[in-house]
Amino acid sequence: MSARDDNADARSWRKAYGLTLSLFAVEVVLLYLFTLRFS
Amino acid sequence: MNRLDYLVLIATILAIPLYGLWRTRGSASLGQYLKGDASIRWATIGLSVLATQAGPITFLSMPGQAYESGIGFIQNYFGQPLALIVVCAVFVPIYQRLKVYTAYQYLGQRFDRKTQLLGAFLFLIQRGIAAGITIYAPAIILSALLGWRLNLTIWLAGGLVIIYTVIGGTKIVSITQRYQMIVILVGMAIAFAVAVYRLSPDLSFENTLSIAGSMGKLEAVNFSVDPHKRYTFWSGLIGGFFLALSYFGADQSQVQRYLAGGSLKESRLGLLFNAVVKVPMQFFILLLGAIVFMFYQFEKPPAYFNQPAYERAMENGYAPQLTELQTQFDEVFAQKRAAIRAVSTASSSERDAAMNNVRKLDAEAHALRDQTKAVLVQAGVDPKSKESDYVFITFILQQMPHGVVGLLIAVILCATMSAMAATLNALGSTTAIDFYRPLIRPNASDHHYVIAAQALTAVWGLIAIGVASFASLVENLIEAGNILGSVFYGSILGLFLTAFFIRRVTGTAVFFAALIAQTLVFVLFATTNIGYLWYNFIGCAAVLILAPILQQTLFRSAEASAGV
Repeated sequence: MSARDDNADARSWRKAYGLTLSLFAVEVVLLYLFTLRFS
Repeated sequence: MNRLDYLVLIATILAIPLYGLWRTRGSASLGQYLKGDASIRWATIGLSVLATQAGPITFLSMPGQAYESGIGFIQNYFGQPLALIVVCAVFVPIYQRLKVYTAYQYLGQRFDRKTQLLGAFLFLIQRGIAAGITIYAPAIILSALLGWRLNLTIWLAGGLVIIYTVIGGTKIVSITQRYQMIVILVGMAIAFAVAVYRLSPDLSFENTLSIAGSMGKLEAVNFSVDPHKRYTFWSGLIGGFFLALSYFGADQSQVQRYLAGGSLKESRLGLLFNAVVKVPMQFFILLLGAIVFMFYQFEKPPAYFNQPAYERAMENGYAPQLTELQTQFDEVFAQKRAAIRAVSTASSSERDAAMNNVRKLDAEAHALRDQTKAVLVQAGVDPKSKESDYVFITFILQQMPHGVVGLLIAVILCATMSAMAATLNALGSTTAIDFYRPLIRPNASDHHYVIAAQALTAVWGLIAIGVASFASLVENLIEAGNILGSVFYGSILGLFLTAFFIRRVTGTAVFFAALIAQTLVFVLFATTNIGYLWYNFIGCAAVLILAPILQQTLFRSAEASAGV
């Protein structure tokens, strides 16, 4: 694997981590809205 | 349970291991036995990681926890997605690059043999006992409610797990966990649908949730910084992060799951799958508990959910007190049901007053249950497990249709078997690779080590069954299991974080730092009342602080001779 492939791979994993964090943030926001609505 | 239930139960719990044995037939190399083969994909890894963490307590106790205290427990999982990202970015590439079978081999390569043995030893102690608790916790509840003999339940479920884990190793654990987790998810989805369907027709679903929320059951997120509050966003995010980092990064029962298959990409995808699905999955399990709570606002619940203990107290001469309490409980229940109906028809201006009345009656019902428990203690039938652990299983046995009852008992046994299989697999592998191979037979063939790992897996299985068989001698063993994990995890995580991030520290310094940190945690455990989740942080922080200090003071010469 070349250095360019390594960099591209690292970039795509950073995107995957960012997407995971965003989904988690959405989950927390939805739970908070659920709390506001029903508590 | 009728014949249909037993048919569904037996077919489910036998079919999956038999299919796993068929898929893993033939002899395996050491690598295949300990890490599976390249056919294991991210979905299997993801479900396997999910199943290993869940265990039977999740499906037995979580709904009861929500029934009792609401769904705020969900916040304990908020640190997990962050921890899993750190594991993906830091831990997994190192384990994969070094091609280790166990996490503790990495400690041996980075530091020295004694640090590897210390990490492995701490893991073996706490997981060895935890394996016994994994099987004891559901067995005590199922045997009490279904009339099964406790030791027979432990031996049948434990024996089956030992047989297939010993034969098939990591690959069979991954395959069986995949299908067991599918059974679990389908079973819980059916339970959720039936529970919603069985709710009172007097109220809409939204109205039901509104009333459950007003009764304090639906507060999912609490941003309070009050340290006395048990579940908050902050304690879940920070405390949960350290717990999850220790568990996923340094506990071989999880490391072995995501190293299965041997590809960095598949391991990472499996873990990220968990980072995304864990919080929603736990939310639905907890919400199921809140729905069961609302169901029992209209359908009279037992005054005490642990009915076998209740009946023993009746037989022991406490019938008059319990009957009196039951009469009072029935009256309060009828008043509360009428009060909830009044809330649903109240105008918005009357609603607050009506809700206050419901809350007052709910507190009275709670007090009567506490009094009932006190009578049970007096009668000498104080149950070892929490009453809330019996809520969901009672709901299953009394309210679910036949067939579904069998499926849901299978869910609990599948969860037990999958968690126990992962634990035994990790215990056998760690003993074989970290102790047997370097200390007893350093130059034997691969085949010899496969046989050794199989034998050691069987020995750990028998130890787990032994622990489970004598577990009733220890009070509140389930809680003891959680505390045990937290007491050891901090030092183990400290070893790994030092290895990754503090380059100048050598083996001797980190070894003694971990010993001192572990002693500190033991002393704090014996002398203070700190919440046990904090031991993860304290043990880890102590190693991270002490290791560089010891390196710079007592072990400078070791640094020089190691060429650091």
